[in-house]
Amino acid sequence: MIARRDLAVRVAARSDLSPTCFRLTLAAQEPLDASPGQFGMLSCGEGFDPLLRRAFSLAGVSRQGDTTEVELLIKEVGKGTTLLRHFALGSDLRLLAPLGNGFSLDAGPHRLALVAGGIGLPPVLFAAEVLAARSTGFDLYLGATSAVELLELTRCGRATSRAGGELVLTTDDGSRGERGFVTAALARRLSEGRAYSRVLACGPTPMLAALTLLARGHGLDAELSLEEPMACGVGVCLGCVVKLADGRYVPTCKEGPVFRTSELAPGWWT
Amino acid sequence: MSVRLNTTVGGLALANPIMAASGTYGYGLDLLEFCPPERLGAFVTKGLSPRPRAGNPVPRIVETAAGMINAIGLQNIGVEAFCRDALPLLRQRGPVVAVNVFGERMDEYVEVIERCEREDGIAAYELNVSCPNVTAGGIEFGHDPRPLERLTGMCRAATRRQLWVKLSPNAPDLVETARAAVSGGADALTLINTLRAIAIDAERRRPVLATGCGGLSGPAIKPIALRMVWEVHKALPAVPVVGIGGVESGRDIVEFLLAGASAVQVGTAIFRDPGAPLRILSELERFCAEHGVAEVRELVGVLEWH
Repeated sequence: MIARRDLAVRVAARSDLSPTCFRLTLAAQEPLDASPGQFGMLSCGEGFDPLLRRAFSLAGVSRQGDTTEVELLIKEVGKGTTLLRHFALGSDLRLLAPLGNGFSLDAGPHRLALVAGGIGLPPVLFAAEVLAARSTGFDLYLGATSAVELLELTRCGRATSRAGGELVLTTDDGSRGERGFVTAALARRLSEGRAYSRVLACGPTPMLAALTLLARGHGLDAELSLEEPMACGVGVCLGCVVKLADGRYVPTCKEGPVFRTSELAPGWWT
Repeated sequence: MSVRLNTTVGGLALANPIMAASGTYGYGLDLLEFCPPERLGAFVTKGLSPRPRAGNPVPRIVETAAGMINAIGLQNIGVEAFCRDALPLLRQRGPVVAVNVFGERMDEYVEVIERCEREDGIAAYELNVSCPNVTAGGIEFGHDPRPLERLTGMCRAATRRQLWVKLSPNAPDLVETARAAVSGGADALTLINTLRAIAIDAERRRPVLATGCGGLSGPAIKPIALRMVWEVHKALPAVPVVGIGGVESGRDIVEFLLAGASAVQVGTAIFRDPGAPLRILSELERFCAEHGVAEVRELVGVLEWH
């Protein structure tokens, strides 16, 4: 297991990606060895409100000289993420990372299908860039409510073309790419006979539920990065559980956040 | 100056007054790189029942102002798995282990204790008679003095180890339940457990948690916990108290000691910072050094009432 650390991090850069989403780059002195799908628990300041850290999938980790740069893509949805959007550059925060498991990135007989919905992009983008660097082939399906919420298109396009795959864009309102859900775009290609060795996905729960059914229907191996509200991120509070096929509730933070659809309980999302 | 941190809870000597609270530190082996259990005065296990329990559906937790509400539903691996898998590893490290015990019936509490009695490396039992999440999971014991006295007596008869009863702040009369636990044979009282609470989703017009209500913890409850520790200490000055409720700093520990606690548990703070108990311990040491306190035990119960 990669060693977990409670890193002292500094807000090094921030840029808006959409009306609701932003990229936060954190700088740490200590090294961080993380793989796509793993996450960190980020403090939102010193006080007691908000009390808890927030869980974010890592969107990328790189080492620049003596500094580790950690990238997070964040959607402003409440108190904690609003604070994170407004911290001054140079602010000191804590990041407990890397936590949880990651996606399986080994190549198979076919390409991989990477599927991201909305702010589910970070672990998928991290996976895409790592896979592209290894020349493992994949198609990247990126869905959002509308064109302005399609995040990091340049990086997604660059990684996908480097991997020799297709970048499929979908929007609910049809303002860019194919109209409809990203899962429908994947379903169409599967019915046309496109084969994948594995699906790696992150996104809203209804999307992951649809993917679970799609994967079962096509006998596909699929790995989903799940999200549940987390207090600790390290498996002690037991707040973020998901039900497995064997009936056990396990913490997504420790046994996940990535699960194969075959190990999850049927209807795990209900 | 050097500060003597050691304390005692009933007949149990502790190297320092800080414990990790039940339900926030797993079975003692989850946070080794941040807070190894042997550096604590003691740690309390996640509540153990005779058999494993799956717990409640999600959402189980929700953050509130300076606090959080949980309804985990007493999910645990069961006493057998604890004794088989965790205890041997704990014994190699040598922490002071307190096993938190609960059951749906009185004999289940005794069943957990009897299983643990076959094992070395356990110093104390903490009876959870106050978890507000599962209707049959103990709420009646903690709220009604007579069954509480009987339950404590049955557990007392099953062990010579230290026996603590963790009291519910939701009981109609806290001091009466404290007296009942002591007459049943408790060596010490842990207070307080979480406060029954609810978070409401205004959009959906529904409770946030799947179970509706849950237990409130965190800094929001500290003033209530301090008041309850002080009231029980005043009423029963000879009975050791383990204080708990919203501790985030060394200064908070001092406040609980002044109110009458002999030791103090750190709980929700661990969720914010897995190294919190050790940070708080060093803050306590610094506070004592800066205030001329040679022994933390000097602080216990010396609150001056104007």
